[in-house]
Amino acid sequence: MDLKEKHAHRLAMLQGVEFSPADIDEILAEVDDIERVVAELEEFCKNTPWFSQQTQPEGGKV
Amino acid sequence: MADGDVLAMNLTDLSWLIASKKVSASEVVSAALARLDQFEPQLNAFITVDRDGALAQAKRADEEITRGAYRGPLHGVPVSIKDLFETAGMRTTGGSKIFADWIPEHDSALAEKLKAAGAINLGKTNLDEFGHGGTSTLSHFGPVHNPWNVERIAGGSSGGSAAAVAAGIGPLSYGTETGSSVRRPASYCGVVGFKPTFGIISRTGSFRGAWSQDHAGLFARSVKDICLGLDVVAGFDRRDPASVPQETPQYAARLDSNIKGLKIGVLRNFLESVTPNVKTAFEAALKVFASAGAELVDFDVPELRYAAMTSNFTSSAESGGINRIWFRQHAHDYVPHVARGIAVGLTISASEYLTAQRARQRIREAVRAAYDKVAIIATPTTSRIAPLLSEGLKGNGDDARHVSTNHSNMLRFPSMLGLPGCSLPIGISPENMPMGVQLVGKWFTDQTVLNAAAAYQNETDWHTKRPKI
Repeated sequence: MDLKEKHAHRLAMLQGVEFSPADIDEILAEVDDIERVVAELEEFCKNTPWFSQQTQPEGGKV
Repeated sequence: MADGDVLAMNLTDLSWLIASKKVSASEVVSAALARLDQFEPQLNAFITVDRDGALAQAKRADEEITRGAYRGPLHGVPVSIKDLFETAGMRTTGGSKIFADWIPEHDSALAEKLKAAGAINLGKTNLDEFGHGGTSTLSHFGPVHNPWNVERIAGGSSGGSAAAVAAGIGPLSYGTETGSSVRRPASYCGVVGFKPTFGIISRTGSFRGAWSQDHAGLFARSVKDICLGLDVVAGFDRRDPASVPQETPQYAARLDSNIKGLKIGVLRNFLESVTPNVKTAFEAALKVFASAGAELVDFDVPELRYAAMTSNFTSSAESGGINRIWFRQHAHDYVPHVARGIAVGLTISASEYLTAQRARQRIREAVRAAYDKVAIIATPTTSRIAPLLSEGLKGNGDDARHVSTNHSNMLRFPSMLGLPGCSLPIGISPENMPMGVQLVGKWFTDQTVLNAAAAYQNETDWHTKRPKI
């Protein structure tokens, strides 16, 4: 499977903006790295609590 | 008094001369504009210069000072502002073709405060488009050149601001930082660059690069001048969701260079990718801190091996979100490299972004624990001197895509975590280029960082070295 096919779901997020074939190659080279990066980060933080940050009024209580 | 004399002065002395009417703001601003005219063709540090406006403001400042309405240390002092901050009636481009002709109606919070302090804005400094870059070569308006060697980059994204101060075009310039965009150009251009704790300076009315990492910061030639410039722009601003309530800023008044017993942490594992000359200058700088009474502590924070990768991933996703609408309408008006970067950011999913934030949380907790052992972390600001323009974007030697001990982790963690960081000159390389150390403190210990930086400058004269342009 070529990179364009493999990452079709990601390229669909470009909202129809078209790039030259050379640009697409550069974008795909980085996009192809995203899943590796995420896998490494997932392993790194697997025992870390999910952060939570609510938008609360100043002072904490209404 | 000769023009060059006033521009060589530190801000404290210059302010005193203006306040005591020994020199007029008009004379100082005229001298700064003349210097700008002399060097700007080689530097390309400015996108817009407001010559008439600056002279009119200077005249007004002189009138106010004459009638006793002195506003403080920045009154009548020429400054410059990175072209990410909106300035009412003055073109604000973000370094982009998309906003090449945009004239805002309102001032950014930073420009408002500078105006209220009586500072004279000479103009808007050049940058990587919307702050997306570390070289200041990714501007629609062309690259910024380093005043120490115009064949070399100034660093980015606030390269125009760093170059302006290094060239003596005003004693202060204001910039922003998302990854390392104040500290890196400060180091490459041989000036002091300070980025306070996240939330200390309002970002209202400036283009966002990545909202959770964007900071405002500033450049000067001395730490004392940084403090004077920071006092004017720091403060709570309800309009910026990141802004924090804080005391009236008194960084200059509280500057204390006694660092006896201050624990400075050194992360030697991250020196691997640092060039020998920078390493030697860094070791010499550590000795200065030790002789001033600081205690050096070698230690490690293994989690920082993930810092550059996490920071880069976060800013990539956030910049995708920020630029979504403009990108749809103007994708081909962006600088091509920036457009490709935003495209990559747009492909990152929400769950992937959240994973990066969880990683960021782990790094934050590790760094929080590290600050139980030391007050400050010191590293070389950059791993090398400013690269040649011909080396392109890879010249910085960054690696923000792998778990590693690459120095990029040292550049990226302060902004990702919102920590105060100061870069200051510590030497000149055999290529006659400046090198820098950065001091990074715990959240809201901005004064401690500035004090340590001042202690170094009391013992050395690297900050007095000037480029021969």
